[in-house]
Amino acid sequence: MEIYLPIAGMSINFFLVIGIGALVGFLSGLFGVGGGFLLTPLMMMIGIPAPVAAASDSNQIVAAASSGAYAHWRLGNVDIKMGIIILSGGVAGGTVGVQLVHYLRGIGNFEFVMKVVYVLMLGLIGGAMFIESLRAIRRSQRQVATPAVEGVPTPKHGTLFSKLPLKMDFHRSGLKNTSAIFPFLIGMAVGILAALLGVGGGFIMVPAMIYVIGMPTIVAIGTDLFQIVLSCANVTLQQAWVNKTVDLLLALILLFGSTIGAQFGALASKRLKGEQIRILLAIIVLAMAVKLFVDLVVEPSLLVSIAPGKGGH
Amino acid sequence: MMKRTLTLLVALWLVGLYSGQAQAQTPEAMQKVLTAAHKNLIEIDLSYRGDRIYFFGVQPVPNTDLVIKLTAQKSETIKLSIKGKVGPFWMAVKQYEVTGAPFVYKIHTQKPLSQIISPATAQELELGYASIRHQMKMHLLRGKASPDDQDTLFNGLIKLKEKLNLYNIVEDPKRLQVTEGQLFKHYFKFPPAASEGKYLVESFCFDKGELVGYGKDVIEIKKVGIENWLTSTSQNSPLFFGIMAVIVALVVGLGVGMIFKKGGH
Repeated sequence: MEIYLPIAGMSINFFLVIGIGALVGFLSGLFGVGGGFLLTPLMMMIGIPAPVAAASDSNQIVAAASSGAYAHWRLGNVDIKMGIIILSGGVAGGTVGVQLVHYLRGIGNFEFVMKVVYVLMLGLIGGAMFIESLRAIRRSQRQVATPAVEGVPTPKHGTLFSKLPLKMDFHRSGLKNTSAIFPFLIGMAVGILAALLGVGGGFIMVPAMIYVIGMPTIVAIGTDLFQIVLSCANVTLQQAWVNKTVDLLLALILLFGSTIGAQFGALASKRLKGEQIRILLAIIVLAMAVKLFVDLVVEPSLLVSIAPGKGGH
Repeated sequence: MMKRTLTLLVALWLVGLYSGQAQAQTPEAMQKVLTAAHKNLIEIDLSYRGDRIYFFGVQPVPNTDLVIKLTAQKSETIKLSIKGKVGPFWMAVKQYEVTGAPFVYKIHTQKPLSQIISPATAQELELGYASIRHQMKMHLLRGKASPDDQDTLFNGLIKLKEKLNLYNIVEDPKRLQVTEGQLFKHYFKFPPAASEGKYLVESFCFDKGELVGYGKDVIEIKKVGIENWLTSTSQNSPLFFGIMAVIVALVVGLGVGMIFKKGGH
């Protein structure tokens, strides 16, 4: 069954889009990751133009993260003060990012820059996950032999950023005399990535919140979801306004697929062993990084690419 | 006085002769090729995946050579980038603004175009890829021009458009069928990439390379229903569309979350 995507201007198999949404949703449910970083490159691989893929993914993330954000907010897991500081960075970064997308599209190199950033990002995430999973497997094997002894990593907050100005207290996170500059800057960096790649950025934000800022894990997750919804809402709005690349229909189909996939992923996560499955995700992420890298270095079959100019059809 | 009148008469005769010749070359002045399309309107709805329109016609002169051309009525301005190697990577290194290249260009004939008409006639009537090249105007926007850019851009554009099924030339009697030397039928595929607008289907009849008949049909493609509303709103009211996309996502996301208890994210 084909469906016509009005903004992408193409006809595509409905079940293929649902299937991609479901696959990413399944992995999200299985691993507890957002999945935006997988969705955009997969959409590009099935022929959806890169700017439409990124912008529509942002739109989909608003929907996918909203219920989780609302649930955490009701449970009191959102540090509103921290969230607003990160969000203001996210809005600034998102605004810069959308203008960057506009500029890069104009000079015909948006897809190139996007793929380079994706290769770096997926390579780092996949590599880190792979190493971490191997360590976890070895650790669990050692624990079988000798029950003991490795501790949970301790937050490194207060060391690296203690000298920065604009210090304030964040009661919900239990942080005192903490600079607002790092949360703003990390929010800004993730905002730029959100516009450029169509990702929520939880894979960067949550570790930064826990290990660098020193927030409790549950508050970090709740605050991250809170800022993701609003930061991606800003990116969606600006992509629609400046670049006219948000395909609402595509976003809704992806949401439908990812919601169903996430339910099965969550069920599967209860039955499967975490470390082995995490290695599988690491391999998938690394394979996508390799595929995108090959696209960048192998001579393309067509050396000419097309973009709409002024006026037009 | 007599000499001036004679000069005037000769001038008028020459003008008449020239305009007569020009009129003879105008396709509209030829005998009419009677044609009909099985429909003239293509509606893009949710399940649209391109369309196929059948055309039927009668040649005014039997056993002549037919050439059918499909073009979009509107012209477009496009930016074409040429990729080059920078370090290990392939990226856009120069960019041209190109005008005059048709958005859609398809030709159907029963035999190779070069066996039907001369290059001069092909160029005059804009038949064949070579005529597209003649119409194209290229203006360097970024990067350093080189002598082979024109060839690279032209060949690249043809390949890009053929890949999207927006350009093709089919020289095949099976595709353009002629019965009893006069009745003909064929079809054009309109791919999903063919956007809204009016498209012109022109039928040319040639007898020993001379144009002897001409006919045309107009096909319109337009979006309807939700497709039309989404496209026009996103283009004409982008801020409203952005706000709506966010609100819809929030409402649907929260609704789905309530149904499944857990969010999909």
